[in-house]
Amino acid sequence: MTLTAVTATEAPVPARVRRTWRVPPTVVLSFLVVALVVGWSVAPGVFSGQDPVNGVPADLFAPPSAAHWFGTDHLGRDEFARVVHGTASSVSSALVAVLIGLVVGGLIGLLSGFLGGLVDTVLARFVDVLLAIPSFLLAVVVVSALGFQTINAAIATGVSAVAVFARVLRSEVLKARSAVFVEASLVLGGSRAHVLLRHVLPNASRSVLQLAVLQFGLSILVIASLAFLGYGDPPPASDWGLLISAGREYPLAPWLIYAPALVTIVTVLSVNRISRWLRKTD
Amino acid sequence: MSGYGGFALRRAGQAVVVVLLTYVFTFWVISVLPGDPVTTTLRNPQNGFTEEEIARIVSYYGLDRPVLVQLWESLSRFVTGDLGVSLRSNRSVADMIGEVLPSTLVLAAASLTIAVVLSFAIAFGVHYLPRPFSTALRSVPSLFLSVPGFLVGLLLIQVFSFGLGLFRAIDTDGPVATFFAALTLGIWVSAQIAEVLIANLDHEAAQEYAGVARSRGLGRLRMLLKHLLKPSSLPVVTVLALMIGEVLGGAVITEAVFGRTGIGNLVERSVASQDLPVLQAVVTLAAVVFVVVNLLADLVYPLLDPRVTLQARPEVGANA
Amino acid sequence: MAPQDRLTSTLTRPASTTTAPLLQVSGLSVAYGGRQVVSGVDLALGAGGSLALIGESGSGKSTIARALLRLLPASGRATGHVELAGREVLGLPERRFRPLRGRTLGFVPQDPASALNPVRTIGVQALEAAELVDGLAKEDRREAVLETFAQVGLTDPQRVFAAHPHELSGGMLQRVLIGLAVLPRPSLLVADEPTSALDVTIQKRILDLLSTLRADLGISLLLITHDLAIAAERAESLIVLKDGRIQEAGTTAEVFANPTSAYARQLHADVPALNPDRYADLRAVGEGRAGDPARIEVQGVTKTFGSLTAVDDVSFAVPAGTTHALVGESGSGKTTAIRLLLGLEQPDSGRIVVAGEELHGRSHASLRSVRRHLQLVYQNPFTSLDPTWKVERLVREPLDRYRIGDPASRRELVRETLRSVGLGEELVSRKPSALSGGQRQRVAIARALVLRPDVIVLDEPTSALDVSVQADIVETLLRLQADLGLTYVFVSHDLSLVRQLAHTVSVMRTGRVVEHGTVASIFDSPQEEYTRTLLASLPVGAA
Repeated sequence: MTLTAVTATEAPVPARVRRTWRVPPTVVLSFLVVALVVGWSVAPGVFSGQDPVNGVPADLFAPPSAAHWFGTDHLGRDEFARVVHGTASSVSSALVAVLIGLVVGGLIGLLSGFLGGLVDTVLARFVDVLLAIPSFLLAVVVVSALGFQTINAAIATGVSAVAVFARVLRSEVLKARSAVFVEASLVLGGSRAHVLLRHVLPNASRSVLQLAVLQFGLSILVIASLAFLGYGDPPPASDWGLLISAGREYPLAPWLIYAPALVTIVTVLSVNRISRWLRKTD
Repeated sequence: MSGYGGFALRRAGQAVVVVLLTYVFTFWVISVLPGDPVTTTLRNPQNGFTEEEIARIVSYYGLDRPVLVQLWESLSRFVTGDLGVSLRSNRSVADMIGEVLPSTLVLAAASLTIAVVLSFAIAFGVHYLPRPFSTALRSVPSLFLSVPGFLVGLLLIQVFSFGLGLFRAIDTDGPVATFFAALTLGIWVSAQIAEVLIANLDHEAAQEYAGVARSRGLGRLRMLLKHLLKPSSLPVVTVLALMIGEVLGGAVITEAVFGRTGIGNLVERSVASQDLPVLQAVVTLAAVVFVVVNLLADLVYPLLDPRVTLQARPEVGANA
Repeated sequence: MAPQDRLTSTLTRPASTTTAPLLQVSGLSVAYGGRQVVSGVDLALGAGGSLALIGESGSGKSTIARALLRLLPASGRATGHVELAGREVLGLPERRFRPLRGRTLGFVPQDPASALNPVRTIGVQALEAAELVDGLAKEDRREAVLETFAQVGLTDPQRVFAAHPHELSGGMLQRVLIGLAVLPRPSLLVADEPTSALDVTIQKRILDLLSTLRADLGISLLLITHDLAIAAERAESLIVLKDGRIQEAGTTAEVFANPTSAYARQLHADVPALNPDRYADLRAVGEGRAGDPARIEVQGVTKTFGSLTAVDDVSFAVPAGTTHALVGESGSGKTTAIRLLLGLEQPDSGRIVVAGEELHGRSHASLRSVRRHLQLVYQNPFTSLDPTWKVERLVREPLDRYRIGDPASRRELVRETLRSVGLGEELVSRKPSALSGGQRQRVAIARALVLRPDVIVLDEPTSALDVSVQADIVETLLRLQADLGLTYVFVSHDLSLVRQLAHTVSVMRTGRVVEHGTVASIFDSPQEEYTRTLLASLPVGAA
């Protein structure tokens, strides 16, 4: 039998590859939600023409209607406008948090896993320390040290996420390092740096991406919680957590809690769904 | 058994190192604080310190000396069990913590119990109930994880206190109020346990041995209880130990929402008044609790799981 | 050809020992989602009879077994008719099918190491099987289990009863599983590749055990296997499957001796055990070089890991342009031996010389320059290729690392090498996940070849592949050797494959070379008891 005939007798594989790229409808919906939220944070004016800072005194505590989708607050400000204009701060601070966790934690995990030995031991103890302090408590302490601002809350949230990133990246690196294809690359004349950059990192990146997305959703919640405690920017800033916190002063206008809460939940739910999907299609 | 003894000793040694390092780390973070909050707090007339007391506290903390010396003295006191004096109320930090600790311990214990019950119920439902119910239950943990903890608390208060009048928001330490506070925290924690549990059950159910056991004529319930539950829930011991941190951190929010006294509330007040010795002590204490619980989990795990050799345990909290 | 017609005629003929079939399957189809994996399969098995389903991966043989046992995953749907002892069971609700499990229908799975619950004792799981024996009092169950353990050849039933699965070897576990399956005295035993995860000597003992039990207890056997030789040796009738369809069916004598379908004939030709001289022509090229000076010399090499001596005073020499095989079962030290040969491990003592250059005690840089002439093909092409890289880059990697030629000439060399292993232009931009197992291993061979090394170490290069793919890979390797004068060190547990392609052999056991010599001398007149046992364990297909 000739060699060309051989390849024909073997089962073709592309069917499986194609299936991987079929995106479930809930994931499509999640991407749409995230796109909308990004839109809100980039160009809030496009989505809401009303003033988020100065209210119309005649319109105090108006319930949700066509004119005010999320109702109005105690100063007659349109709640929808406040949510939309608060998005940029909530989303960008979550991004900052993830970036800090990813860069610092990732570097620690990478060095720890790849170098091993004493470096690994020292870094492992440092990560143990970060892990031993309850992450929300750590965030509270850090933000109180840096001062009550949303950006500091973001930094604090990022610091509290360092340990998770370090752990995941370290175990991914260890997994990739013991992979047969990594040894193969060494046999083929690859240097350690080549193996780390070209083989280990690309293979670890998938689960790190998935974790980063998951942490983004979690960071939104943590930053909202810090804002809820008053550790973020003060009003008239309108971070989602701050809006919910402010809403509880007015039990007779429950939409002031439910509207920003719903936005937060739907956003985080969508982000989590995307993360889950990334993990599954691995 | 000498292998286990050595392993236990090594892990305990690591735990001690981690606690000491945590103290140093917290000290470092707090000393980054801009300005000189210690002196300003002490000199605030509202706090009612006399000049002698101020002098005594300043020399006690060595505030007039370099940071490293301060760290060394503070650490030496910590090692002997002395947690220092509050800058706000001129009281021993240990007393202040001792006063509010029981309330938080009750909350933590109740919420962990609720979390375990809830998570096992969810995971069990996912694997035992027929189609539409099991699929719906499957998305519950993800939903729980997308709701900010304080919002759950606010909703519970709205419905059960204001709406149904089951408890009065003022009577914050009563059993009903405690239950709902614990539920707030428990829902968040249960979601994380349930995710692990469901994933493990899925994994185990797909193993070859599950099919072979079914071929021996076992029914679904017996499969679940006798075969799948044990290997699936063993790793939960580890997760549960990690959740201690979630509970202690979450207490800050939960106690704020429900207006309870406790460690979380103490943290919130200390942050507001820049009472650094209290913050330092609470954070270190939380770390001690976390490290001890995880140490116990580490030590117990090899005894529970017959497969585990001491080197190869699934990823553990304090063993990153 | 109309296989269906031939089939019916075969199947209506009663199997050897009985009149009414115990198992009668007609028109069985199975689909996962929209993907049809089994199409219109008919088969019949009489009480006390034996039938083997043969096929390569993707043939649907295991899916048929799982459909009969009703163990398909949730996404799988089976249609057609399955009659067990005269009763339609495919449409039966689970509640009414369950009493048949174990009692009528026993199951012996493929990989014994994963077929028992790892966190429960074997005894507890065995008692579940004992429960199925009608009329056995609760207090007698333990005794029944211990008896069965003794019956399946476990020497210390008490210890096995108290043990956890990870404390027993694969062979012992498979005995346990067979014991558990036969304990409730089922009328039909479905064995899905019961020995493919086991060493060859243990394989034979397990198959002997199954044959004995079948004869003693009058249990029918449905044997699922990829190994034509095993099937022919152990079953009265054969069914050959491909892509979920029956290619050929009949008694073993008919199908084995006179395969009529093209696929069955090809399968027969591809089984090494049945065609020892298939590549005699290609092999003859190297045969003439047997007396040449050695390209590789391994002298008295020893390597220990802690208290374990993995390789113990091993020596062999390989003349240029020939193939030397290292043969042994798991734990024989053959893998450690080649890791030493490649400089991936340092020997405790002894020396290794490759192309006149001492391998160990070198700097990293000079080891690297030796490795240029010494390449490796791994056992499993599913793990040895980086899943994030494309074929072209995978094969080019060694050229890039050793900075050979300019980018254009590298690309040309990559394409040329891919052609020489039978891979076309259209694959260069694919990732490994879009290739079949055989294609992946060809990529791995091309990657080893692209540096034009003198020596290639082949670590079980076909053991993860189907037999027809294996045959093509072996042919490619031999042709490359004949054309380029390559020297191979070939590691394998498969003696029949070694016989087809090697020139000289070292038989290894627990780190030592038990016997070595030319292929002819080892296979025709083995001197050592262990070599004889190994050879006697080979299935030869004669029923």
